[in-house]
Amino acid sequence: MMDQEHIASAFDRDLEGVQALIMQMGGLVETAISDAARALEMRDTELAEQVRRNDKLIDALEEQVASEVARVIAVRAPTAGDLRTVLSVLKISGNLERMGDYAKNLGKRTSVLSEMPAITGTGGALRRMTQLVNVMLKDALDAYIQRDVELAEDVRQRDSEVDQMYNALFREFLTHMMEDPRNITACMHLHFIAKNVERMGDHVTSICEQVVYLVTGDMPDEGREKQDRTSTDSALGKV
Amino acid sequence: MLDTTQTLLTERTMSKDIKISAKGVDVFYGDTHAIKNVDLEIENKAVTAFIGPSGCGKSTFLRCINRMNDTIDICRVTGDILLEGQDIYAKSVDPVQLRARVGMVFQKPNPFPKSIYDNVAYGPTIHGLAKNKAELDEIVEQSLRRAAIWDEVKDRLHQPGTGLSGGQQQRLCIGRAIATAPEVLLMDEPCSALDPIATAQVEELIDDLRQNYTVVIVTHSMQQAARVSQKTAFFHLGNVVEYGDTNKIFTNPEDSRTESYITGRIG
Repeated sequence: MMDQEHIASAFDRDLEGVQALIMQMGGLVETAISDAARALEMRDTELAEQVRRNDKLIDALEEQVASEVARVIAVRAPTAGDLRTVLSVLKISGNLERMGDYAKNLGKRTSVLSEMPAITGTGGALRRMTQLVNVMLKDALDAYIQRDVELAEDVRQRDSEVDQMYNALFREFLTHMMEDPRNITACMHLHFIAKNVERMGDHVTSICEQVVYLVTGDMPDEGREKQDRTSTDSALGKV
Repeated sequence: MLDTTQTLLTERTMSKDIKISAKGVDVFYGDTHAIKNVDLEIENKAVTAFIGPSGCGKSTFLRCINRMNDTIDICRVTGDILLEGQDIYAKSVDPVQLRARVGMVFQKPNPFPKSIYDNVAYGPTIHGLAKNKAELDEIVEQSLRRAAIWDEVKDRLHQPGTGLSGGQQQRLCIGRAIATAPEVLLMDEPCSALDPIATAQVEELIDDLRQNYTVVIVTHSMQQAARVSQKTAFFHLGNVVEYGDTNKIFTNPEDSRTESYITGRIG
């Protein structure tokens, strides 16, 4: 990547500007995920409501990124590394916006779940899974800012841990539901929450792919084994 | 289906033919070493763009391809430039005949102070390309059609070429250049004196021309190079720093100097 500045310094300011918006979005999404997880664990409906409200800020930032990128493309006609920067910014803002939506959905389900009896034993696993995804997100954004392909690759590989945690939770929820049908509603909500967190991991992976593309000009090889086997492996449903 | 695939494959193979091959070319203006050991292979029936900052040698190199530098006393060219395998600097090559095969369009439209018809008819006449008036008329019409200006001038062929607008004059000059049935068209910043509409018309024309001609264009407009060419060579300080597919050069160049130039970091 170029450390050198553009002859037109306003171009540098434009690129820095859109990337600053991405970092701002990233910060809000990290907070949303950790708040949503805490709200779920503590049955804190007030905090869950706050996560839902704050999603509007993330959505607004995504729109701002899109219009800023459109302006930069129109005015600067970026090429090479500059072009890849604006394209990756656009894609990453989409990933972050979706992650924000999943956090918001956690908030919504938390409000419903807080009115039901707690399902014992699943809280810790969900918390660990959410924490793992949040650390992955932080590292992915660091990799983006540092243009660190190695770190991005490392984060990409970590997504299989998230998938495995989801597989384990899937079985656990099935067990709870079979043990006592009164758990079904709560377990379905918890299952959707786990699935949402698993999807967040996929979006982090996509951000890491953008880092590789931004730095190398090529998308990474699909050298990553998908570990979410719940949709293909019927044995996972046997408890 | 097989036929279509075969045709596509054949076309692709043919487009990889090399029309012009430069090997170890150096150009000196007196003591100034303007082009340094340049190797370049220009594909047949494709548009190749030369880009680079002012004074990098791109126009100098372009002018070597039809020996325009011969007219400059202090200019010395060494190395080989082959047009379809034939050394264009060989003693047996007549520069006037060479320039009929390798036409040129300049930065500023420069129609002769003659009628539109005579501007185009001049080259074919001196090269004896038409046996009679009817043939000459045909060449003029075909050339102006290929230059995408026939419809605009067909009713005033005998009015002065200098009376046309800038964009029309440039297309007239392109028509004049292709009237001698050249194989290669060299264009030295052909749109720099034109407004955006005339520029778009000339770019559209360049895209059509590559079906029949090998086009080499020098341009200061990065976007123009990206739009019209299939191959791009980046010149810097007399060297070809990078040469490759235009798509690759503008999305992911190999050399950091190319990236610096096309992204506006060095002038």
